[in-house]
Amino acid sequence: MIATAPPTTGFSQEVFDAFLADRDEPGWLTDRRVAAWKQFNNLGMPSNRDEEWMRTDIRLFHFDRFTPFADIKTPAELPSALLAVGVELAGHSSSLDSLSLSAELSEVWAKRGVLFGSLDALVKAHGDLLRPYIERQLIDPNQDKFSALNAALWSGANLLFVPKGVKVTDPFHSFSVLSSGGVDLGKTLVILEQGAEATLLTETASTDPDAGGMHCGSIELIVEKEARLRYVNLQNWGSGVWHFAHQMGHVGANAGLQWTIGALGSRLAKVNQHVALVGQDSEAQVNGVMFTHGKQHLCYNTHQHHKAPYCRSDLLYKSALQDKSRTVWRGMIKVDEKAQRTDAYQRNDNLMLSTTARADSIPGLEIEADDVRCTHGSTSGRVDDHQLFYAMTRGYTRQEAVRMIVTGFFQQVFDRIPIESVRDALGEAIGRRVRDIEQ
Amino acid sequence: MSEFLPVAMKAEVPDPGSLLVEIDEQLIVLIHAAGHYYALDDVCTHDGGPLSEGPLDAEEGSIACPRHGAKFDIKTGAALTMPATKPTRSHEVKVEGEQIFVRLCE
Repeated sequence: MIATAPPTTGFSQEVFDAFLADRDEPGWLTDRRVAAWKQFNNLGMPSNRDEEWMRTDIRLFHFDRFTPFADIKTPAELPSALLAVGVELAGHSSSLDSLSLSAELSEVWAKRGVLFGSLDALVKAHGDLLRPYIERQLIDPNQDKFSALNAALWSGANLLFVPKGVKVTDPFHSFSVLSSGGVDLGKTLVILEQGAEATLLTETASTDPDAGGMHCGSIELIVEKEARLRYVNLQNWGSGVWHFAHQMGHVGANAGLQWTIGALGSRLAKVNQHVALVGQDSEAQVNGVMFTHGKQHLCYNTHQHHKAPYCRSDLLYKSALQDKSRTVWRGMIKVDEKAQRTDAYQRNDNLMLSTTARADSIPGLEIEADDVRCTHGSTSGRVDDHQLFYAMTRGYTRQEAVRMIVTGFFQQVFDRIPIESVRDALGEAIGRRVRDIEQ
Repeated sequence: MSEFLPVAMKAEVPDPGSLLVEIDEQLIVLIHAAGHYYALDDVCTHDGGPLSEGPLDAEEGSIACPRHGAKFDIKTGAALTMPATKPTRSHEVKVEGEQIFVRLCE
């Protein structure tokens, strides 16, 4: 049982001052936090008149109903992590309500100069190394109130740093847990130096599947020249959690990023996922799996930004919706004038499993170069009655048939994921949720 | 059946006028028009727009979505004009003394 302090202070100046006093961080980092905190207080809540927010109503969200860094007791047992089952890991870390609980790194990789674990601790020990990457500021704290809050108060953060030329064969795993009513202000920073390779699996969960709470997070992926990163992020918070996140990947010349997200949990999610191809001949593949139920509302704004020539990006988001749930996907391919010979694609498919669910799918292109191939596609539809009928004539129950069809719907994404444990975890989590279709 | 819950004082809602209130994790627009009080979900069924920010026509008995102009009957929540085609939920209201109560429909 977790004792959670009653929400009394919210995000007050006293909370921020106490947070800073407790951190003992390098001055340059404290200065950044102070500037972001000022911005957090200056910015208003996002308006539902803004295009980005008009389909995502957060008027029921109130900062003052949450208490960051409340005095919580670590439960005897954390919820089960899904992604690392049966996987040999190069490192593992965990956090609870933005407090780092554990961090382990295989000695083999530690000797090669790999850093993995709590950014809170590692930034103190390796400040000079990490400072230029943090100051690169992939995510602008001024973007909105949530980006400013995370920049000011990030805590319980993850770091993966892989030095030049080191190719880590086993994946890393990071697990963030939220207590009932808790606050998570996590940050993930991944740095792959030139020619490095790594796989990072991150996932989130709540101590209780029905728990409320708040996550305001950020992810920054820096993939330098000729490096390759496979990054998986499974969002599986409790059904009452507010989830706000800014995520950004920078891919250098001849480098590659494969980024897979699974969005299953939370009450409301508003995520900006941004991939920038900044070096010539770089590539990014972005995969998204969303499965919603109840009154969940998941909003993903994706951005594929081609800043250099000869780059390739390929985005595929697939959603299945039950009950009265809703998804919003707004995708943008932006091609700068100098990014000639770009090859970019984005696609969003929605499978409607109830008559009261709703999916908004809004692809977009903004192209300033004149020698590119940029395409997009979007589909929304119900389960095909003929497929259901056929499966049932072969002896399957209706629910078995629905489960098969939903699994088949997601197979296209699963086929792109090379990590077996991730395919299994997503497949199992989705399979558990499929119910009968409403007529 | 849910209970009647106190949501506002009469003085908080001019006639004609409306007030946005939170009831049991739901946003409700409380409307005062021609001496009567009404309560609707603060959601346009076309695009999810906030009805509480739209114009109220007390004579016609309608409130319009500020985004695309869809009108809803303030008594029943029925969609009166395109682009909305489905009703928004209407809730029971009662007044005792100066206090306004709302009972959310199932």
